[in-house]
Amino acid sequence: MNYLRHILSDRLWSLIIKEVQQILHNKQIIFLLLFPPTVQLLIFGLALNPAVTHLSLGVVDYSRSADSRALVSALVENQVFQVQTYESRQGDLENQVRTGQVTAGLVIPPDFSQSLARHQPAHVQVLIDGVDANTAGIAQGYMKQIIQRHTQTLNAGQRLPVETEVIFLYNPGLLSSWFFVPGVIGVVLTLTGSLVSSTTVIREKDVGTLEQLLMTPAAGWEILAAKIAPLFVLLMGDVLLASAIGRVIFGLPFRGNYGLFLLLSALYVLVCIGIGILLATLANNQQQVVLISFFFNVPLIQLSGAIAPIESMPPFFRALSFFDPLRHYVQIARSLILKDVGVEALWIHILALSVFAVLFLGVSINRFRTQLS
Amino acid sequence: MPAPLSPTPPAALEARSAIAVQGLHKSYGSVEALRGIDFTVQPGEIFGFIGPDGAGKTTTFQILAGVMEATAGQVSLLGKPPGQAQLNIGYVTQKFSLYPDLTVLENLRYSAGLRRVPAARWRERAPHLLGQVGLDAFGDRLARNLSGGMKQKLALCCALVANPAVLLLDEPTTGVDPVSRREFWDLLAAVASTGVTVVVATPYLDEAERCHRIALIYGGELQQMGTLASLRQGLGLQRLEVWAADIAQAETVLQGATVSGLVDIQTFGDRLDVLVTDPGVADQQVRQHLAQQQIHVDRVQHTTPTLENVFVNHLRQQGLDPPYLSFPTAQTGQTLGKVAIAARSLQKTFGSFCAVDHVDITVRHGEIYGLLGANGAGKTTTIKMLCGLLPASGGEIELAGQTANLSRPEVRSRIGYMSQKFTLYDDLTILQNLTFYCGVYGVPKRLQRQKINWVLETCGLQGQEQTVTAKLPGGWKQRVAFGASVMHEPDILFLDEPTSGVDPLARRQFWRQIRDFARRGTAILVTTHYLEEAENCHSMGFMVAGRVVAQGSPSQIKAEQPGQLVEVVTDRTQAAADCLKHHLETWRVAIFGDRLHLVLDDLDGDLPRVRQWLRESEIPIQAANPIPFSLEDAFIGIVQRAHASPS
Repeated sequence: MNYLRHILSDRLWSLIIKEVQQILHNKQIIFLLLFPPTVQLLIFGLALNPAVTHLSLGVVDYSRSADSRALVSALVENQVFQVQTYESRQGDLENQVRTGQVTAGLVIPPDFSQSLARHQPAHVQVLIDGVDANTAGIAQGYMKQIIQRHTQTLNAGQRLPVETEVIFLYNPGLLSSWFFVPGVIGVVLTLTGSLVSSTTVIREKDVGTLEQLLMTPAAGWEILAAKIAPLFVLLMGDVLLASAIGRVIFGLPFRGNYGLFLLLSALYVLVCIGIGILLATLANNQQQVVLISFFFNVPLIQLSGAIAPIESMPPFFRALSFFDPLRHYVQIARSLILKDVGVEALWIHILALSVFAVLFLGVSINRFRTQLS
Repeated sequence: MPAPLSPTPPAALEARSAIAVQGLHKSYGSVEALRGIDFTVQPGEIFGFIGPDGAGKTTTFQILAGVMEATAGQVSLLGKPPGQAQLNIGYVTQKFSLYPDLTVLENLRYSAGLRRVPAARWRERAPHLLGQVGLDAFGDRLARNLSGGMKQKLALCCALVANPAVLLLDEPTTGVDPVSRREFWDLLAAVASTGVTVVVATPYLDEAERCHRIALIYGGELQQMGTLASLRQGLGLQRLEVWAADIAQAETVLQGATVSGLVDIQTFGDRLDVLVTDPGVADQQVRQHLAQQQIHVDRVQHTTPTLENVFVNHLRQQGLDPPYLSFPTAQTGQTLGKVAIAARSLQKTFGSFCAVDHVDITVRHGEIYGLLGANGAGKTTTIKMLCGLLPASGGEIELAGQTANLSRPEVRSRIGYMSQKFTLYDDLTILQNLTFYCGVYGVPKRLQRQKINWVLETCGLQGQEQTVTAKLPGGWKQRVAFGASVMHEPDILFLDEPTSGVDPLARRQFWRQIRDFARRGTAILVTTHYLEEAENCHSMGFMVAGRVVAQGSPSQIKAEQPGQLVEVVTDRTQAAADCLKHHLETWRVAIFGDRLHLVLDDLDGDLPRVRQWLRESEIPIQAANPIPFSLEDAFIGIVQRAHASPS
C-alpha cells in the first residue's frame, strides 16, 4: 500500500512538473495573466461612472428677463447642464432635440417674470430626449431638483416641512469606483481563469497529446489536478495583483479580513478553473472553446451585478442571478473590501461557491476520460 | 563557384526538357539544404524523388514551384524561370492543400479562379476531372469530411484544373491507404500519358518503382538517378528470399556465418531477404549453414532487388545507418505464448453506422500482429477500443489477463501506446518529454537515466537533449515518440501507424526494435499502410468496412489469394493498361513503373486472351511471367473482392 502511494505521488509530481515546464515555455500565458486584468481594472474603474454631467441644454427664452436668466444660470451652475444653444422659436428647439443636438430643452414663457412678480405659479416647459432612458431619467431628476431649489431661494423664508439629511455609509464619498472595482476583480478572475484553464486543456486535444496522456496510467483527476495546481498559483497571483491595483490606484479600504478575502478568492478561482476545464471537455478545438466561453461569460457577467445593479433587474433575472457564481463572489468581495463583515454574513455565498466548485470540477473529472468518444 | 540564377535558361536545355535544373544551391543561413543538383525531366515523364527526412526534397519542390528563390544555379520550367511559369504548374504539398470548410466543388472552383480558368472551361472541365477520380458523386461534400485518399485525389484535381504542363507533388500519399495510393498512381500515369510532366516525392519505395526515373537525394545532393532497372543493375546484387522454419534463429546463424558476397540480411515476417552478389553460390552456402544448425529450409527463391535494397544499401555505404542498441531490460520472455490481447465479437456503432463489426482478434505475448485496411476500415477504432480509449458497443475484450476495468492504472502501466497523430509535447525539450513519460509511467528513478540514454542514442540525439521538440524533423520525432512509449517495458504495445513519414533506414531500425521487444515477450499490435513492412508481422488481419475479412501469416494470406499475378513487360504500358481495363475489372490491372501487373483467376485460360486483346490493339508484349503475390497485391485483391460481394 505504501509502495502504491509512492508511485501515485510520483506520477502526479511528473505531471505537475510537465505543466509547469509548459507554462514556462509559453510566454503568451504570462501575458494573458498580467496584461488584460490590469487594463480591464483600470478601464472599468476609471471610465465607468454612472453620474451624468455636462448635459447639453437648449433654451428658448421668450421672457428675456432677469428672472429667466437667473433660472438658466441656476441650471448650469453645478455643471450638470451646459447651455448648447439659445433658440428663438420652440419649433427649432424641438428639432434640435429630435436630431440629438441637445439632450434637454427648456422653454421659458413670455409671462414668466410677470407670474413670479404676481406670486402666481409660473410654468416652464422641459423637453427631454428619452432615447437614453437612464440619462433622461437622471436629467429629469436634476431638472426638477434644481428648479425646486431655485423656487425655494425665490420664496426664502418659507421652509419645507421635512428636510432629509442623508448619511452615506461605507462609501461616504459615493465614489463609483469603489462600487465597480471589487466587481471587476470578479469579472477579471472569471475571464482570465476560464480562458487560461480551457486553453491549457484544449491544447492537448488540438495537438493530439491528450490521447497519449489518457493512455498513461495517470487517472483523470491526476491529470486535471496537475493542470489546476500551477494555474491556481498563477491566478492567485492575479488576485494579489488586482487587490494591489485596487488599493493603490483606487484607494479601496479593504476593511474586512484580508486573509478571508484571499481564502474566498481562492475558492472562486477554483470555480473559474472548473468552468474553463468543463468548457474544454465540451469543445473540440481552440476556436470552439473561445466561442463557447464568450457565450457563457457574457451572461455570467451581466447577471452578476458586477456592473449593472441586481436591483435594476426584473424579478426573473434577479432569481436567475442566484445561479451565477460570479454574483456570489462579487457580493463577497464588496462586503469584505468595503465593509468589515465576517463569515456569518457571507455563509450563503460561500456555500454557493463551494457547491459550484465541487460541481464543475466533479463533472470535468468525470467527463475527462470519456471525452474522446 | 556556381553561377548566379540567370533569368534566361540555356538554349540547349530549353529545347527538349520540360524541366531543366543545373547546379542548384540553396542555403538557409549557414545550413546548406541543396549543394548543387542537376537533372532534367522530359515532357510526359514521371520523375520520382526518394530520400530520408531532411534530405532536401521539399526545398527542391519549393524552388521548382517558384515559391522560394534558389541561392544559386539555373532552373527552367517549360523554358521559363519558375516564377514566370507558375500558371502552368500544379503543386500539391505534403499537407492537404484544401480548405476543409469548402465543398469539393467550391475547392475546385477556387483553385480554378486562382489560376484564371475561364468560367466556360471550368464548367466543362470540372465534371470531367471529378469523374476521372471518382469524386463526381461527392461534389457537395465538405472537404473535411472526405477520407485521406479522397482528399488527395481532390488536391490533385485542384492542381490539374488549370491544365498545367508540369505537376509537382511533394509526398502526396503519406498516410493514405494502399488502395487509394494505387488509384492515385493510376491517375498519375494517366495524366502523364497525356504529356503532363510529373515530379513526385514519396517515402513509399514500392510506389516510387512506378516512376519512369528515380533520383535518390541525400544531404542536398543527388546520389543516384536512373530507371528502376538501371538502379537495380547499378546495385550489382541479387536477392534471395529464404523461407525457413525458425526465422529468428536463421538470421542469427547467417549473421555469424561467412557467405561469399553477402551484403545484407533482413527478416521480413516469415522469410529472410538476403542480398548477395552471386545468387548461385550464396544459395548453396545459405542452405549449408542452416542445415548445419538443423534449421529446415522450405525454399529459396532468386529474385531482383527492390528499390528499398538500392536505397538502404547506398545510404549504408555513406555510413548513415542508425545505430542499433539493444534495449536495457530485465524482461526475459517468460510470458511467451500466453494470450495478451483478445477481442471477441467486438463491436462499435456510431448511430446507425457500424464502424467495427464482430471483430475477433487474438494476440499472444511475443507476437507481432498487423491490423491492415483502407482508411476508414475501422482499424483505429478497434485499437482505441482495445486500449480503452473508446467504450465498445458490444463484445468482449481481454487485456493482460483482465476483462473488466481496463482503464485501471495497474493495467495501463503495462501498456505502451503510440498513435499516428504524434504525441510528444512540442513545447518541451526532448529531455523534458522523456523524463515526463518516465515519471508518468512510474519507471523507477534509478533506471530513468539509463532508459533515456538508450532513446537518445538509438535516435542519434546525444548532446541535443535540450533541443525543443518542435524543431525536430517529423521522422525523428516519430523515433523519439516510439522510445518514449516503450521506456516502461510494456507487456503490450499498440502502434498505430508508427512509421508513417519515417525514412527506410529508420524504418528498418524501428522494426528491429519491435522484433526485439516481441522476442522478449511483448505482444504488439500494429497498423500500417506500408505493406512491405507488414511482412514483419507474424500474423495479420485485413479489415474491410469494419469486418476482419482475412487473417493469417503473410505467407498464408498470399498463398490463399485466388488466381495468379502476372507481370507484363511492354513498350506501351499505359496504352496496354487502358486496353486491358476495358476487358478486366480495373483493380486487376496496375502499372508498376514500366511494367504491368495483372491478377488473373485462371492463368492458362486468361493469359492467351490477354495476349490476344493486346495484339488486337497492336501493343507488342515483350514478356509475360507469373510472379508471386506481394502483400500489397493480396491486400488490394482482398479489399476489392470484399467490396464486390458484401457478405
